[in-house]
Amino acid sequence: MGHCLPERRVDNQELAEKLGVAAAEIEKRSGVRSRFFAADGQGPSDLARAAAGIALSEAGIGATDIDFLIFATMTPDVTFPGSGCYLQEKLGCRTIGALDLRAQCAGFLFALEVADQFLRAGAYRRVLIAAGDVHSSGLDFSPRGAAATPLFGDGAVVAVLDAEGDGLVGSVIHTDASRFEDFWCELPSSRRRPTRFLPQDLALGKHYPSLDAAAVWREGVQHMRAAVEEVLTKSAVRPDDVRQFFFQHVYRDAALAVAEDLGVGARATVGGLDEGHIASASLPLALCRARQNGDVGAGDLVCLATAGSGANWGAALVRL
Amino acid sequence: MTRANSRIVGVGRYLPEHVVTNQDLTRVMDTTDEWIQQRTGIRERRYIAEDTGAADLGVVAAREALDRAGLRADQMDLVLFATLSPDYDFPASACVLSRLFGLKRTPAFDVKNQCSGFLYGLAIADKFIKTGRARHVLLVGGEIHSTGIDLTTRGRDVAVIFGDGAAAAVLTAEPDAKRGVLSTHLHSEGRYAEKLWLEAAASRSRPRLSQEMLEGAKPRIFPHMEGKYVFKHALTRFPEVILEALSANGFSVKDLDLLIPHQANLRISQMVAMGLELREEQMFNNIDRYGNTTACSIPLALYEAIEQGRVEAGALICLAAFGAGFTWAAALMRW
Repeated sequence: MGHCLPERRVDNQELAEKLGVAAAEIEKRSGVRSRFFAADGQGPSDLARAAAGIALSEAGIGATDIDFLIFATMTPDVTFPGSGCYLQEKLGCRTIGALDLRAQCAGFLFALEVADQFLRAGAYRRVLIAAGDVHSSGLDFSPRGAAATPLFGDGAVVAVLDAEGDGLVGSVIHTDASRFEDFWCELPSSRRRPTRFLPQDLALGKHYPSLDAAAVWREGVQHMRAAVEEVLTKSAVRPDDVRQFFFQHVYRDAALAVAEDLGVGARATVGGLDEGHIASASLPLALCRARQNGDVGAGDLVCLATAGSGANWGAALVRL
Repeated sequence: MTRANSRIVGVGRYLPEHVVTNQDLTRVMDTTDEWIQQRTGIRERRYIAEDTGAADLGVVAAREALDRAGLRADQMDLVLFATLSPDYDFPASACVLSRLFGLKRTPAFDVKNQCSGFLYGLAIADKFIKTGRARHVLLVGGEIHSTGIDLTTRGRDVAVIFGDGAAAAVLTAEPDAKRGVLSTHLHSEGRYAEKLWLEAAASRSRPRLSQEMLEGAKPRIFPHMEGKYVFKHALTRFPEVILEALSANGFSVKDLDLLIPHQANLRISQMVAMGLELREEQMFNNIDRYGNTTACSIPLALYEAIEQGRVEAGALICLAAFGAGFTWAAALMRW
């Protein structure tokens, strides 16, 4: 695995003036102290390229050894083609398949399931998963964005999977879109005639993410908790067998609450304090760092869970 | 681990009623029916007439596919939506479709692989079924292009090509290893990403949408294409991936009962058929009535081929696509 965060760190002080809220208030409401913003011209595929260099080097293979690439993002470099095509070129892969998968915040867990099926079906031997988002170019830096804007950050994580062993012990993924407007971004919208996005839309702000905090918090807690219980039961694994739990939610407090609810607070990692919510990349980022720090290592069983826009959510048990 | 093949057991389609002929387009741009037909083989396409999303078209197509399969939406283990024109910026159109079906747990996500999207989705569905992770999968390809093209003389080279529509397939586990999807083959080559692309909204630009992107001489919110590049690469990659699929299963072109190519341009399809020395009855075309509907075109063509009695039990069918990315793909099926 490898990760890449952009160079520019943005603290709450910097946001405070634009958003018209005190820095302390931003941290209190969002649970985020600072985040990283990509530079102009830097897209998810650029961040993923750097992350992939680290991941491939750790795996001891080259880009041409990869048989299939999956890019999970909700903020592609351009509208089309997908970031996977850009990454295929940037890494110098063969003309392998490059799937662009859109499942929002739970993108990494969805990509993991997809990769696992291709590997277990014998279609491919080595699959590269890139999870990356650049939110900062699509946030509202005016007082109207005071609630949503501080939550998000940019970054990418890459994981290389091979067909040997049984790394993915168990996985559950789900969607319930009954209330998708609780956490969405309406524009550009292909359903709107005559044109998806008009110059006058720039002033209205419907091209920025919008969240109903209470609803997203409540559903996130329910979904993550249920997914962890489901994946443990399905895999016949007891919570005590899990070395470390990783929870991710756009509201850090929701992820912390799930860890407490499940009684695993002492063995739980909740990312985002200094990176914000990077959607698809946040959950694997926490795992990637824990591996680098030696908090978890080969043979350890870890549990990953997240919930987000869609609502899409899931949990996975991974043997490192 | 391989337990079953996947097999398409139902297809459906839904096209907006509003027909836009080449003649209609001459009223908003400087073009002619003859020019469009000669270069693309397109006579007419469909556009939505009121605010309608890809998922709204997709749900009607999916209902028909489910009816034909004798299955209900809540029996699906996975919902896939292939589109390059999602209903909203986020979440995915697969989520929007899920709500229209009232689904509460079934995993749903979008496949964003442009013209190859349906075949990328088919490959995913096939693998989920092969490993036993899913028994039934709903795969929809749906697009609303008409709200994202430049319907003026400036945009005519691209705008005349695309149409709106949705089509769907239900895949299910097939115990007979000689039936169903025999193999899938997926490819990409990002060095040509900007030969056929739509830039904005672009997360790599700060901000990703701006006045300058929306206006100016060459608005960046409309697709752009270097037609010659696309044409040239299509003529290489289509035959290459079709032969890859056939040879992976020990077949040759003469064994093929029907080739259903992505309906990108009639001239491309005709030259591919000529290069592979396909007989007329081995090739399916319907671009004349719908234009290029990207992720929708293959299931839409498959639907009509079935309706016309051109897909019989036991037939060897090849689905093949090439398009933006570049991405290209093929699937070989025994019907």
